[in-house]
Amino acid sequence: MKKDSSKRWIAVIGNPNAGKSTLFNALTGLRQRVGNYPGVTVEKRTGTAYTLHGEAIELIDLPGMYSLSPRSPDEEIALKVLQGKAVGLPRPDAVLCVVDASNLERNLFLVTQVMELGLPVLVALNMVDVAEAGGVRIHPDQLEQKIGVKFIPTQAHRGKGLVELRAALGQRMSHAGERKWTMPAPLAAAVGQIAAAWREAQPAEIRAEGKALELLTGSGDGPEGARKLALAWRERFGKEAYDWAAAVVAARYAYLRDALGQAGVGHGWREVGWTDRIDALVLHPVAGWGVLAGMMMALFISIFSIASYPMEWIDAGFSTLGQLVQAHMPTGVFRDLLVDGVLAGVGGVVIFLPQILILFFFLGLLEDSGYLARAAFLLDRVMHRVGLSGKSFIPLLSSYACAIPGIMATRTVEDPKDRLTTILVAPLMSCSARIPVYTTLLAAAVPAALFPVWGKAAALLGLYALGTATAFALAWIFRKKMLGGSSPPLILELPPYRMPAVRTVLLRMWERALIFLRRAGTVILALSILLWFLSSFPVTSGDATERLAGSFAGQLGHRLEPVIRPLGFDWRIGIGLIASLAAREVFVSTMSIVYHVGGQEEGLVQAMRSTAWPDGSMIYTPATCVALLVFYVYALQCLSTVAVAKREMGGWKWPAFMMTYMTGLAYLGAWMVQVIARGVGA
Amino acid sequence: MKSMDLTQVGAGREVRVSRLECAPGTCQRLREMGFCENALVRKIRGGADLVCWVCGTRVALSARLAKQILVEHVDGRS
Repeated sequence: MKKDSSKRWIAVIGNPNAGKSTLFNALTGLRQRVGNYPGVTVEKRTGTAYTLHGEAIELIDLPGMYSLSPRSPDEEIALKVLQGKAVGLPRPDAVLCVVDASNLERNLFLVTQVMELGLPVLVALNMVDVAEAGGVRIHPDQLEQKIGVKFIPTQAHRGKGLVELRAALGQRMSHAGERKWTMPAPLAAAVGQIAAAWREAQPAEIRAEGKALELLTGSGDGPEGARKLALAWRERFGKEAYDWAAAVVAARYAYLRDALGQAGVGHGWREVGWTDRIDALVLHPVAGWGVLAGMMMALFISIFSIASYPMEWIDAGFSTLGQLVQAHMPTGVFRDLLVDGVLAGVGGVVIFLPQILILFFFLGLLEDSGYLARAAFLLDRVMHRVGLSGKSFIPLLSSYACAIPGIMATRTVEDPKDRLTTILVAPLMSCSARIPVYTTLLAAAVPAALFPVWGKAAALLGLYALGTATAFALAWIFRKKMLGGSSPPLILELPPYRMPAVRTVLLRMWERALIFLRRAGTVILALSILLWFLSSFPVTSGDATERLAGSFAGQLGHRLEPVIRPLGFDWRIGIGLIASLAAREVFVSTMSIVYHVGGQEEGLVQAMRSTAWPDGSMIYTPATCVALLVFYVYALQCLSTVAVAKREMGGWKWPAFMMTYMTGLAYLGAWMVQVIARGVGA
Repeated sequence: MKSMDLTQVGAGREVRVSRLECAPGTCQRLREMGFCENALVRKIRGGADLVCWVCGTRVALSARLAKQILVEHVDGRS
């Protein structure tokens, strides 16, 4: 990205759970852009904020991190941005550190490291209300005096302190100054020598000491002389068994304890509070699982019950639109394109927007309330059995919404083999794009009268469970049998329970709605038009079915039919399978086009139910519907996922493996459903 | 003073970290999150995996990691 010289770039950094994203949202509102690294914690998010004097500044929301010693890919990205080494981003002009005021000692550890990067630093002292409620009195001016940077008290979730923060962002920020913590003697000698070599090569370098320390940790680059010295000192420390990295951490904490003490900030032991009382239930070895199952069931029931109303409105809207077009446009190819191509294709997918939004709303609430970390903790033992750690749970859970943010969220997973395994199995977690396919096929499998809302929710939960169980089984094979070794042990911060910031959750839903609608308006619209063309031309005589059979799409479907016949699928389903290779939800819009039902769910289900083989037997028997459902649980029908996996895995080898094993599994699974159905006489 | 690992400490007890015996990268992350040598830690929950209060926050640890954190009781504070 080319740096806009008229705007200042400010990186926003902080520990996870310090309220960084809430503050970023409060400062930027809807003026945000989501780039190509995704989720609250892993997305490359930039936004425009305004100072009190109206100056526009660009904020970069960096992934949450505990220190500048990166241990996971997302922490590496954050460090690169701060060092000005991130491709496509300018080096920030300043850094806004967001710290949790109720946990200053740990949060300021990162601030002391950021201060040594040579950039001006401003600290947002967030959640001062929580600190004060816990009996911690903070005097920002005293902190400023002791630490050497400006502190602005804020309560991001209530919008308090933002005026003062905007005023401070508008002022010229000063550099942090010299290191204040005392370097232990053996290390001071090493850093002194490396810094001297640096200054000799580059006399203009003003932060040679900070860079020498970076060089010693292996995270920096520098003149050859300094690099050689750093290597020699590392070897010497290794021989002497001197743990200099531990000494640095201890020295920083000792300095912070002293400085906070002098500024009158203590962090006494807090008594058992309501977070601990909730944890007693949520982390209970038996009751905790009940809570988790209850949450998941509530989610799936809401997807069907609450979402049904807006879905009916959208359905009615597209139906009215179709009737209007038919009433006011002359008969012809263009009208067919609009009604059978555009409205059927786009309408067939847009109708599922409410369900997808509910899914993201729930995930947002779970993350912001602090529950998601508990779920990861609870699942750590299960994950450990399959060779992963609890940290893989959050990417896998995100994959229920969409595998793309799920795969990107694996950047928080430190172990490369854990990360690879998580990426390989993430697309098996049923994503929101499968909801349209599941809903339609479930409706086709069993009449609505026999299938009340809770029954649909249970069946949907069953499909999610099938994908999840398979993901875990394959994770065990991939991680323990194929890749070998064991995952690193779990260290996870459990934030206190908080009321989720509604604004943050709604902003995230708005962002997802835009992404979904953009996709419907581009990829799905284009595919719908293409499919309409393929299923309408060449024009042949006969009834609708015969005309479709003679079309390009029909010919393609017929060629595929021998391969998918053992699964109980006909050539029309074949068209759907080919079309949905790009995106699963396209299956529904394709079938809407194939059956000429104009984007209405009810019409599609009825058309599917009345479709028969040439011998008169029904195609969409319960067994075939289940086989098709199983196929969609397993098949990797999403080109975007393949593209993201390729980028994250740095080549085609693993994405090709992923596509092969998932397609094979889908075929085998669907075939087995038919074999079992025949066996039991269904 | 008698040294033990963190899994052997009862819930609600306060201890001081005496030594970390894990892999270097893991040790570094533990220290950065407050589990430095001489740091005070209060164990909140026991069991297979455990939760500690350190440096003003709750941190969850797997039992196999807790076994590698050696601690000693703090006189008069537990």
